[in-house]
Amino acid sequence: MPWPMRSAWTSLADRLTIAGRWFDGRSSQPIPVLASLHAAPRGPGLRLHPLAGGAAPLELEHRQVQWPETWSAGRAPRTLIVDLGPHGSLEIDDTAQWQAALAATGRRLPLAQRMQTRWPVLLGVLVVAAAALGAFYRWGTPWAAAQLARHVPLAWETELSTRALADLDQGMLKPSKLPPERQAQLRAGFNALAGQVPAGLRRYGGYAPALSLQFRSGLGANAFALPGGTIVMTDGLVEAAARQGTGDNALLGVLAHEIGHVVHRHTTRMVVEQGVLNVGLGLALGDVSTVVSMGSTVLTGLAYRRGHESEADCFAVALMARAQLPTTPMADLLLGLEDARAAKQGGGPKDQEPAKGTAGGATASTAGNAIASLLSSHPQTAERAQKLKQGRVEGCKNDA
Amino acid sequence: MEMNTDSTALETASRRSGQRAHHVNTHAPIPGIEAFSMEFSGTGGEFFRVWIVNVLLSIVTFGLYTPFARRRTAQYFYSHTLVAESPLEFTAQQRKMVFGFLLLIVLYGAFQLAAETGQDLTVAVFFLAGAALAPWLWGSAMRFRLGSTRWRGVRLQFRASWAEVYRASWPVFAIALAWGVVAAVFGAVAGKGVRNVPVWAWLLPPAALVGTFLCIIRLEFNYKSLLVSRAFIGSHSGRWKPVYRDFVKIWMATLGVFLASMLALGIVMALVVGGSIATLPGNKNPGLMVILIFAALGVALVFLLFLASAPARAYREARMLQLVWNNVGVSSIARFRCKLKARRYVLLRLKNMLLTLLTLGLYRPFAMVSEYRMKTHSITLHVKGGVNQLVGQLVQQQGALGDAMADAVGLDLVG
Repeated sequence: MPWPMRSAWTSLADRLTIAGRWFDGRSSQPIPVLASLHAAPRGPGLRLHPLAGGAAPLELEHRQVQWPETWSAGRAPRTLIVDLGPHGSLEIDDTAQWQAALAATGRRLPLAQRMQTRWPVLLGVLVVAAAALGAFYRWGTPWAAAQLARHVPLAWETELSTRALADLDQGMLKPSKLPPERQAQLRAGFNALAGQVPAGLRRYGGYAPALSLQFRSGLGANAFALPGGTIVMTDGLVEAAARQGTGDNALLGVLAHEIGHVVHRHTTRMVVEQGVLNVGLGLALGDVSTVVSMGSTVLTGLAYRRGHESEADCFAVALMARAQLPTTPMADLLLGLEDARAAKQGGGPKDQEPAKGTAGGATASTAGNAIASLLSSHPQTAERAQKLKQGRVEGCKNDA
Repeated sequence: MEMNTDSTALETASRRSGQRAHHVNTHAPIPGIEAFSMEFSGTGGEFFRVWIVNVLLSIVTFGLYTPFARRRTAQYFYSHTLVAESPLEFTAQQRKMVFGFLLLIVLYGAFQLAAETGQDLTVAVFFLAGAALAPWLWGSAMRFRLGSTRWRGVRLQFRASWAEVYRASWPVFAIALAWGVVAAVFGAVAGKGVRNVPVWAWLLPPAALVGTFLCIIRLEFNYKSLLVSRAFIGSHSGRWKPVYRDFVKIWMATLGVFLASMLALGIVMALVVGGSIATLPGNKNPGLMVILIFAALGVALVFLLFLASAPARAYREARMLQLVWNNVGVSSIARFRCKLKARRYVLLRLKNMLLTLLTLGLYRPFAMVSEYRMKTHSITLHVKGGVNQLVGQLVQQQGALGDAMADAVGLDLVG
């Protein structure tokens, strides 16, 4: 604002005096005052002239006054109350005149108040909020989790795994019934694969967990990676591969996928990501409704898991290529498992935690629609198998 | 004038302000007594704008706007609440609210980290410290909230000493003791096999359950009575008349309302489910259908429990409001009357819940305003000696950690 103009406004503001009641904080007895506002470099100041008793005027700088918010563009509250901090409070009945005097000082409203009094500002912030939220949860959180995982010690991961496996052994898992020689055979293949992980595939330089394979029975046809290097394969999966005639290369492909989870430290990253989601989305959307905040937390969490699965697939394809092993058997195994489950369950949604690594998503392969894919922790099986067969998974970084 | 919860700051605030705000000039036949209806001049549409701005800014700042949003919400409700023609003021310092909030986030983060990484000892320490500090947190939240409330330039104060707060908290420790005894007895006999547990031991858990229920009511009673009787406006303290039996009666009636709504819902459910099973086409794969129906029923059950408890929760709130506001005052200069109709309040809550669900939460600000307004408008303040007689005292501003914590566990500031 050019300064002659400001001067004109200032004098206008000076001429606007507003009748008010001043409570000095020591008693509930009001003191009638005339209030006036004057422009100052750091925002308008307030002057109170007591009308009785010959008391001295009270002069307050901008920062000494808690300026009441403008709640709405159209309607002013019946009585306005101004917090003067240790100097008590000021009640104004003529709120319109107060607003006019405040406007005359050229005061700029804070963002929140501009948003609640002007639709364009609100819409502008809405657009920015949507974009920022999308970007943060799409790229920011996964990136931060990947970086934070660098600082998590391997010992923490192995301790967590030892406990998790002990818990599982007491409940859902039983010792494997596979003959020891068969176990040794598969373990030899696994060790050969684990020994070939090239430096280029290692996401975290200097992170070298001891990879080990364990066999258990229970949990159906399944394989999963625990953080810190332990990978568990169930008898059910070995039997399924035998039944479908996909051979050991299918099992090795699955193991390569699980090694990918370990090398990329997916469990640790998921802990961080889930924590950010719970706190961030809970705080941001919790006031709207629990349904909205929990729904978006779950959906975003699933999206992260799908990202991890794709990353592990990329890893598996690259490692298998390096070991000169085919990925088609693995794809066939996935499809076979999917068909078997679809036949068993009539294509309905699976209600338990989807088997990690092998058993595809939480939905039937037939339901290729977007909603099913949103609700799945794994990418669509058919699509995934197709890409594995081609030995090329989209979205992989070309560092393989 | 409270909105959603039990005796929160506003309720007490208005209670107190009422106490001071006594002018003499009334419609009532008693000379020297002036009556003022409490008023709320805010509107749902206006508060919606305030609320949506809070939500948006919270999203953009990843939740860090929360303490600012809380202050703005409190200020909207306080400044539109007129007690004897004068609005209430929420004067908490933003800086302190931000600090309390950040401290809470750090504590919560440390706790989560300890829990996620399985540091059981640290988690146990957190739990024990939390339990031992709970009364202190409640007390500091109330100090903060009352100390942040001003009416006609005079601040409210919560002057209970920590000893008083801890003495009032005895039911918490009684509950812990009761379950400790149950665990110890069953731990001692566990080795001998189920058949060797003496008959009297089986009576312990139900007894502990009933005791816990009574203790929770006692705790609510103790806290509310302490809050009112140790609340001050100027040199006048709050006056508290309800007795424990009044609270038990309200809780019993609430239990009755809960059971009745469960029964009604159960009948409706039975009709709906029975109907849908009868109309099922002859499916070749009945097993799957049954599984799907049961899965749907499981989800529905949790939701229905929430729904069925809604009338009971609203009923308890309304009855508690009546009881408290008809039986409190400010020393000898003010008393209150509350004409809230429990049935109307329950219906309003049900309507609000339905609309909030249908709009995925967007109706929430309207719901808050309508419930707050019904409560506020039901209260009348009767003052003897005029509203100008209060003499304020300097009150030191309180730290806000307790308040942030109370907010985190659902004790709404505006309620």
